[in-house]
Amino acid sequence: MSQTTSPEAEARPTKAAPPPGADSARTRTIGRIKRTLTPYGFLSPTGVLLIILMVTPIIMVVSYSLLDRVITNKNPAFVGFENYVEVLTDPVFFTAVRNTLVFTISSVVVHFVIGLAFALLLNSPLLGNRSKAFFRVLYILPWLFTVAIVAVLWRLLLSPNGVINYLLGASGITDGNTEWLANPSTALAAVTFINIWSGYPFFMISLLAGLQGIPRDLYEAAKVDGAGALAQFRNVTLPQLKPIIISMALLDFIWTTQQFALIWMTTGGGPINSTEVLSTFTYKLAFTEYEFSVASASAVLVLLMSMVLAFFYVRHQKARD
Amino acid sequence: MTTLATPALTAERPALRTPPKHTGKKVAIIVALVVGACFSALPVLWMLSSSFKSNPEIFEFPPRLITPGFSFDAYTTILTDPTKLRFFFNSYVIALAVTALSLIVAVHAAYAFSRYEFWGKKTINVVVVSVQAVPPITLLIPYFGLVVALKLYNTYQGLILTYMVFTLPYAIIMMTGYFNTLPKELDEAVKVDGAGPLTALWRILMPISVPGLVSVGVYTFMICWNEFLFALTLTRTEDMRTVPIGIQLLMGQHSYEWNEMMAMSILGCIPVLLLFLFFQRYFIGGMTAGAVKI
Amino acid sequence: MSKGAHVGRFIALTGVTALALTACSGGGGSSSDGDGDSGGDVTLEFSQWWEPELPDGAFRELMDKFEAENPGITVDLLSGPYASTKEQVVAGAAAGTMSDVVGLDGAWVSDFADQGAITDLSAVMSEAGYDESQLASQVQVDGKTYMIPVVNFVYPMFTNDDLLGQAGVTAPPTNRTEFADAAAKVTSGDAHGWVLPLSLEAPNGIQNDVMSWVWESGGSMLKDGQPALTDNEAVTSATDYIQGLWDAGVIAPGSFTMKEQDKVEEFSNGRVGMMIDSLAHVNLIRESNPDLNFSISAIPAEDGYTGERGIPYASWGIGIAENSEHKAEAFKLVEFLMSEETNSELSSIANAFPGNTTSVPDFVEEDELFGTAFEIYQSGFPANEFTGLPVAEQLMRDFGEEFQKALDGQQSMQDALAAAQTKWEEEF
Repeated sequence: MSQTTSPEAEARPTKAAPPPGADSARTRTIGRIKRTLTPYGFLSPTGVLLIILMVTPIIMVVSYSLLDRVITNKNPAFVGFENYVEVLTDPVFFTAVRNTLVFTISSVVVHFVIGLAFALLLNSPLLGNRSKAFFRVLYILPWLFTVAIVAVLWRLLLSPNGVINYLLGASGITDGNTEWLANPSTALAAVTFINIWSGYPFFMISLLAGLQGIPRDLYEAAKVDGAGALAQFRNVTLPQLKPIIISMALLDFIWTTQQFALIWMTTGGGPINSTEVLSTFTYKLAFTEYEFSVASASAVLVLLMSMVLAFFYVRHQKARD
Repeated sequence: MTTLATPALTAERPALRTPPKHTGKKVAIIVALVVGACFSALPVLWMLSSSFKSNPEIFEFPPRLITPGFSFDAYTTILTDPTKLRFFFNSYVIALAVTALSLIVAVHAAYAFSRYEFWGKKTINVVVVSVQAVPPITLLIPYFGLVVALKLYNTYQGLILTYMVFTLPYAIIMMTGYFNTLPKELDEAVKVDGAGPLTALWRILMPISVPGLVSVGVYTFMICWNEFLFALTLTRTEDMRTVPIGIQLLMGQHSYEWNEMMAMSILGCIPVLLLFLFFQRYFIGGMTAGAVKI
Repeated sequence: MSKGAHVGRFIALTGVTALALTACSGGGGSSSDGDGDSGGDVTLEFSQWWEPELPDGAFRELMDKFEAENPGITVDLLSGPYASTKEQVVAGAAAGTMSDVVGLDGAWVSDFADQGAITDLSAVMSEAGYDESQLASQVQVDGKTYMIPVVNFVYPMFTNDDLLGQAGVTAPPTNRTEFADAAAKVTSGDAHGWVLPLSLEAPNGIQNDVMSWVWESGGSMLKDGQPALTDNEAVTSATDYIQGLWDAGVIAPGSFTMKEQDKVEEFSNGRVGMMIDSLAHVNLIRESNPDLNFSISAIPAEDGYTGERGIPYASWGIGIAENSEHKAEAFKLVEFLMSEETNSELSSIANAFPGNTTSVPDFVEEDELFGTAFEIYQSGFPANEFTGLPVAEQLMRDFGEEFQKALDGQQSMQDALAAAQTKWEEEF
């Protein structure tokens, strides 16, 4: 591993503390160098970890994507962008992109809406601290389970003979025979719903925190200007929460596009292609078709798309500083 | 005060007695909260109920919440199996270690991002955010090879370092945001006294950052506690495996131990729940600053 | 105190921590690596998913027996969840850390052999002078054996006798017309005639519940080792038949995401009249629902078919890692598992049929149901054409997707077969 070009590596020489300076000019120079190198020193443990354990495997994945039949072939040949062409000409890839977008965007939007609604309710001054704590615990529950069990639980709940159908049927809302996960027209919605259930608490908690951090005098000022409740919400609450909403939405977007186990364990990407997303598409390429090169190409494409997002994210961050 | 129509708009302390005219509103809020709680908690209630059922009762139709076969057998089976208890132990060790180490490493990186301008800052930032974006499943093979080469296969260290890498980006982002909300004058004051940046960080910033640390810590803990794929791949023997693997071991080739799976995840969530209860005051306070100004 | 010194100290501290971590791990790693070094003792790693499937401690007992018979060899059992076994073997083979002996499913063999993960057992067997005639079957790729089926789980038809009886069906159906008729009679309210798991996550329903109809009537989905889904009377009639059942509404809801584990729960709960299922489930069904009255019979064949019937099966197979340094010892373990006595014992505890031709599991004599199943097994031939095919699981999934489309009415069954044929040809 020769990642010598990284700034972290350059920073390492600071380990040897320089001898006490002889003249003031030299001391100042040393001081400036130290000042320049200090942040790299702070970043070095992170850098070392991320470079060895994250960037290296990513580079390996990128190199796989340029080779032919890596893993299964002992001496893979360099094939340039052939694997990318294969991915990009596969119609299922675009189905997967579309489903991923539908799944991710609706998850993020609803995470936000539900998260905000719950946060607003939990922030109500009309509630005592005890009841707040009680509901907070109830609302956090979906976050506490490993994805395998979330999948199994919802398969049970949504099965044609499951509780949900029973309740819907008994109350006369539906005929109680809906095959939520097994019907191509409802499967994606059902999977998205499960993901919404399991993911909103994180949003809720952050927004709740954000609400509590809004200075009260802003509301007082708005009231003096005669703003009603809705106007206050639009002019004070939302703008104040905007930074959280944007960062959470971006992070949630990246995380949701990675969601694999939940979809795989509930529908396996089916019925037909209706819940095929980029992660299940890539998984199948790698582990059932043994096309690790093509799977790597698909992963690199996902990485590139996310890097664009990350770029905007960092720019957004900078804009606020 | 009385014009506050939506609950959103208040940061009012509960010290005030609710005036009578708020009663209607209060009822509305409680009704809404209960409806919301149905959405979030009923599935979990069903999990709890299933953990007390026998396997066929889980599938009976029409479903019942409490069945004649009600028993604690699933819990007894898990709690008397030393292998499974070991899974719990491993999960604790790993999650706690990662939480502590990840926070320490992230705090320093966040300090650099928050307090210094340096060459490559933006690039490093993009890298930190986007390394999260590679589907873990495609990283599996190269990552596994790397772990074997580093002799970390089937060790706590291997898993700990792996989860640190997974949780660091988020921890750094959140802690950077948190430090950004703290005035620079705080650490400058210490530096005037001749102390270095480390002193400023540890003596001044860390103590007032406890809420931020707690919120990031709880998140980190959750990620480690629930991760499956790498936990399985990077360990080999039963004495190194974690709770999510224990749950999946109950999903057999031909049949599942439904009730034991449910019981095991209920048992698994209790410590996390306690942790949340204990820390929730900090947790909720801490998210604020971190997220508001990243 | 300069800033540099602070940062320097911090880096030093981190360095020490990192070193400590690596040192500890080095220690941990070497303890597991250094197995073969001391005094000729060998530790065999055996990774499989069987141990958790069997009664507690039963498999370990067998291993203890092996260790007692072979001083100097110890067996380290590594168990993982079945659903993830494949990824683990692929990753292990890529990193050179695969266990010496591995449990295999027939559907994976061709891929692992291609990857160079598992070794050519033909060579190992001839070196050990092993008598292959006692093996019921071997799974070969390009004429070389890579997997030996240790025990086989056959898939006969299970019938819920009470449901059938109430519907006026007195005997389990023996041909397709009778089956369709019985299924239609049973279907009413919550009860359905048949249950068909077609999940794409674990697509083995295609093998066990769909293709079984082809094999049962002596048909084949291949021709000279190549896919032959089109212009194939046996395949067409079987798929059309299933489409007919589907359209008649006699199949339990939820098929498209149903897995084998769900199927058996539907049956245990008395909601389906008939299912094609692994014998491994007999005890589970009895435990789940002691009152359920069910019996086992051969899968109905085409009307008027009198030839030998193919019976679908799945195996717990065994293979040896190419990177194993102890192939000879590993084969001793294989030999042990395939020996008449051990094989009978393992079959008994797993409720499976033995991979050794001379073994007879206890339950065949003790249990009427298994006795019947054994008769069915012996009167037909084990059929599973997916075993040993390249990317077998993907083939099932390709077929499954097209099949689902056809059942869903998005294309005709003929188009589905043609589309699956095209996909299969690409994979071969």
